[in-house]
Amino acid sequence: MSNNLYICKKYFTFVKNILHFDIKNYCAQLHTKAEKITARGYFMTEYVIETKNLTKKYKDKTVVDNINMNVEKGKIYGLLGKNGAGKTTTMCMLLNLASKTGGEILLFNNAPNQETYRKIGSIIETPGFYENLTAEENLKIISKIRKNYSKERINEILELVSLDNEKNKKYRDYSLGMKQRLGIASAIMHKPDLLILDEPINGLDPIGIKEIRDLLKKLSIENNTTILISSHILSEIENIADVIGIIDNGKLITELNKDELYNKLNKSVDFEVSDTGKAQTILEKIGMQEHIDYQIVKIKERENIRLYTNLNLRDSINEIFVRNGIKVQKINLTEENLEEFFTRIISTESEITA
Amino acid sequence: MLSYIQLEFIKLKRSKIFILTILGAIFPSFLLFLAEEFGEFSETITFQTFLTNVNMYMSVIFAILLFTIIISYLFGREYNEHTLKTILTAPTSRGKFILSKYLMFLVWILIITVVSSISAVLFGYATGATGLTANIVLDSFKELLYCNILLFLSFSPLVFISLLITNMIPAMIGGAVLTFTNMIVESHKYGIYFPWSSPYLIASGEIAQYTNNYTISHMIILITFLIGLTVSYLYFTKKDIPL
Repeated sequence: MSNNLYICKKYFTFVKNILHFDIKNYCAQLHTKAEKITARGYFMTEYVIETKNLTKKYKDKTVVDNINMNVEKGKIYGLLGKNGAGKTTTMCMLLNLASKTGGEILLFNNAPNQETYRKIGSIIETPGFYENLTAEENLKIISKIRKNYSKERINEILELVSLDNEKNKKYRDYSLGMKQRLGIASAIMHKPDLLILDEPINGLDPIGIKEIRDLLKKLSIENNTTILISSHILSEIENIADVIGIIDNGKLITELNKDELYNKLNKSVDFEVSDTGKAQTILEKIGMQEHIDYQIVKIKERENIRLYTNLNLRDSINEIFVRNGIKVQKINLTEENLEEFFTRIISTESEITA
Repeated sequence: MLSYIQLEFIKLKRSKIFILTILGAIFPSFLLFLAEEFGEFSETITFQTFLTNVNMYMSVIFAILLFTIIISYLFGREYNEHTLKTILTAPTSRGKFILSKYLMFLVWILIITVVSSISAVLFGYATGATGLTANIVLDSFKELLYCNILLFLSFSPLVFISLLITNMIPAMIGGAVLTFTNMIVESHKYGIYFPWSSPYLIASGEIAQYTNNYTISHMIILITFLIGLTVSYLYFTKKDIPL
């Protein structure tokens, strides 16, 4: 009996301890969650760059027109646009190199000040360094201004951008690629929270481009560095960016993440058939309209049927064609690439503006 | 601000312009030495005359040219080498940056003054000038220093011009124009109203030949300085930075 009681008591204490522990633990978890909600806006996205109707005018010309851009913390945001689209001017305004004519800029949720700019690394167009100085001396000047001079850090960063063997060469004797690498070294030397890079791969060879791309991806993943990168090279932006903003004539036409982008890419199915006329009649009979649902396109001197809608019914359409004695030589599912998408978006926007 | 001056010295490493201006500071003494060697002076020259001549040539001719080159290099190179975007985004306050450039210009002038005075003593000694005393050397140095500080003040409009036109060639032309104007008006009664010739007249005491009222000349220099400083400060702090 006493033995049973002892077991019961032991069991009771054990359950009590567990309950006590769980409650404490649960309370702690709740507290942390509540703190997170209050401090960071738990369900809200944290933006490092926010612009509201950002505008820049030179006399009568509007070069940046009411841009509302949001760059999420830790993401790589690719700003894509033709030369003269307004990418550099936008970046210059973010860095206080150019004044804004209208609108608002928020960096790290605040109006920018000297402290904010300390958390940013940047390259705007070609890097600018003192021609008579070596890479090491140029970086020394920058780090002294940033008040974080360390010879070891300079050597480390020069090694990272593969300039350690050229650190004593004068800047004027550097190739364009080497200058660009030094620019990147200067931008990332102080481990910034935000990188603003305007065409950073200009002048780099393919290996250099890959190295810099990998480095930027590494910074984004490992250090949670937010990166705003501009380029007119579509493939580069496609390769690196999490979010793409398309800018044209000073206007931010669209902002898309990778998934949204792939959903927006036009897709079509090409049917290479023996008799396009007959195939067209069949499509009309099942309620499809030329120029809306399908089109006849010429590829290598051959007419094909290009289907734009009901792509998931391509098996059934193929079956109907075959049943009606049409030979189907090939069925191709094609997807618009970023270049075609970019051209389509830009030309649609130009038509609307016109 | 001191750290900015330190950085300016780093920027001058291997700079040909810096060496050129140092050579320019030595040049008046060297010219007078050559003149003595080629028998330009009939009698043995005294140290006082030698140093006075060096100061005159330096202040009226060479300093104008040298200061124009210095200003153009100090301010213009940041545009020509596209370094402004790198330095200002580091970040640096634009106001502090331009004021540190002014301060560096003053430091450079002081270096030139010291070099010019030392070279004057050395070349004076080489020519066999007589009557070398510490007081003569000190007075001559004070005169050149005062003159160069006044010239520093009157050069602020040229800072604005060098921000506007960053190329060195217009600056050199401007410097040459100022030098010739100086040579014409320096020995004229209007020289006291010209802020680039009056510093020498004030510092050397020659102003007494034209007027007893030194205030006007001082005021003209001060107003020139304030106008130049304000305009260059406003221009630099408000204008978009060219890439």
